[in-house]
Amino acid sequence: MKKDMANAIAVETRQVGKKFGSVTALDGIDIRVGSGEFVALMGASGSGKTTLMNILTCLDTASSGEVWLDGVNAATLDEEGRREFRARHIGLVFQQFHLIPYLNALENVMLAQHYHSVVDQPSARAALELVGMEHRLEHLPSQLSGGEQQRVCIARALVNRPPIIFADEPTGNLDEENENRVLDIFEKLHAQGHTIVMVTHNPVLGHRAERIVYLQHGRIVDAPEAISATARQTNGSRAFAMAASESARP
Amino acid sequence: MAAPDMRRVMLLRAISLRNQRVLVVFLALMVGAAIVNALASVYFDINIKMSSELRTFGANFYVGPAKGHTLPEKDFEAVLAAAPAGLIEAGSPYLYGSARSELERIALVGAQFSQLGRLAPYWQVEGDRVGVDFDDRNAMIGRTLAARLELKVDDTLTLVKDGEKRSLRIKGIIDAGDASDSLLFVSLPLAQTWLDMPHTVSHAFFSLNNRAGEVDAFAEKLQAAHPDWSVRPIRKVSANEGEVLLKIQGLMGLISIVILLLSTLCVNTSLMAIVSERKKEFALQKAIGASNRSIVRQVLLETLSIAFLATCAGCLLGFLLAQVLGQTVFSSSIGLRWAVIPITFALSVTVALAAGVVPLRRIMYIQAAAVLKGE
Repeated sequence: MKKDMANAIAVETRQVGKKFGSVTALDGIDIRVGSGEFVALMGASGSGKTTLMNILTCLDTASSGEVWLDGVNAATLDEEGRREFRARHIGLVFQQFHLIPYLNALENVMLAQHYHSVVDQPSARAALELVGMEHRLEHLPSQLSGGEQQRVCIARALVNRPPIIFADEPTGNLDEENENRVLDIFEKLHAQGHTIVMVTHNPVLGHRAERIVYLQHGRIVDAPEAISATARQTNGSRAFAMAASESARP
Repeated sequence: MAAPDMRRVMLLRAISLRNQRVLVVFLALMVGAAIVNALASVYFDINIKMSSELRTFGANFYVGPAKGHTLPEKDFEAVLAAAPAGLIEAGSPYLYGSARSELERIALVGAQFSQLGRLAPYWQVEGDRVGVDFDDRNAMIGRTLAARLELKVDDTLTLVKDGEKRSLRIKGIIDAGDASDSLLFVSLPLAQTWLDMPHTVSHAFFSLNNRAGEVDAFAEKLQAAHPDWSVRPIRKVSANEGEVLLKIQGLMGLISIVILLLSTLCVNTSLMAIVSERKKEFALQKAIGASNRSIVRQVLLETLSIAFLATCAGCLLGFLLAQVLGQTVFSSSIGLRWAVIPITFALSVTVALAAGVVPLRRIMYIQAAAVLKGE
């Protein structure tokens, strides 16, 4: 499956810039993520990774440049078009889980189906089973641990089978055990052919991705030495170091 | 297993799990609905209630001769026969004349005693009223005349005519504050006999219910049918009655508006708080593909559901409140008027919608990216 998709581009940005008033948050970002790739966006606080993530997930728009998602130029979409695109093409995983507090785990997952098309309870159950939450279907978020809430959040992101899953600091609020569990799920999804783009500031997490893109002061940079060293020690031959500049395009 | 209706699930959960905020919205709408319902019920009944209250000011309709000084007594019966059912509360013919007592000449008036209580309810009577129309042994006397003749209750006044005498026991002394204070009231048959004016009256007074301007219409009808009569509503009472009714209805309308405004503000504040509390929830819904329209529809549905339940409770409470108002102010119950219910619902829904405008607009401007960003 991955080989079939090897030449397809899931995410591509061309000279994307974002300004908030006179402040430049992103400047000339060029990224390409192939279908089935697992890419980590890394950078320190204020590097622009969340801003980039918001643009890639169509929650925000770029001030300049083009954003191609699953073959669609998001810059041409209006608000309604971006909403519909999010519902159909993007799965979102948040640092703070963001589950509806008065819906149980199953209903939270079905809510994504509701906004996508129609509610299909067996599919929602299957998504929760995939993340090991089949025993907590009827539990409210307040009755779940942080790790469990995040797994429900991942199931919600998966349930509509979106081409791309974006995860913003998905383990930021989890302990080490749950962190590993969540990352195991991402690796499992990656192995199944899902395209995953994960924002993190943690190099240990970043190296679990197939590739890392480093952001600094709103620009893509070569791997900062401190991060690269740590990552190399733990990731062996992984190709994360090639993350640096993505400017070369066919 | 059938897929659940997510809209219904979210509606029920959102309402049931936010007890305090929902309760405030519910109470605000219920109180507004109850007061509007009660005042509207009274409003519709007030014409009848106030009309009967204002009857206490006395007769409000006069029928007399257009020319001359008297009418045949049968004309009084003709007025009664011509009146629509329920219009005439009370009525009596009056015959005035001069009679001689053992001391001086006095003004005498014959009337139907049984009607005087309702035609002149404002009289303060020392002793008792005479209750029977044909009572020719008892009389009532005005306060001024009684003082002049030095008469007290149970004293006897003797009328004298051509050597004939008729003794009357003073059963009650009238303090009316008007010309009645100088009159001697006897039964109409006695007056007609004593004054040698059989089957004759001077004029008649009536107390009519002023329902929707019926008094004027009745006066026009009588006048057209009997040009030899002088027919006129007694404007001082009828016009005042209309003005008082208008003022009271205006006051009730004003109170209703104030209450509805207060309800709107209260509901608005609660909805603003709810939207603020649920900001992340709405942002998430937008992030996973909900349109502004679907979220607004969801919140609107929640608000209108609460408004519906609150209005049902408000209608019940309002009906009870109307009974309290009716008993306290008019000493009678207020009828259940079905027209009040749709009015109450319409106003409650208007309040809920008006209160929801700003919070709903706020939902539309929630930026998912800004709200959902990690910390």
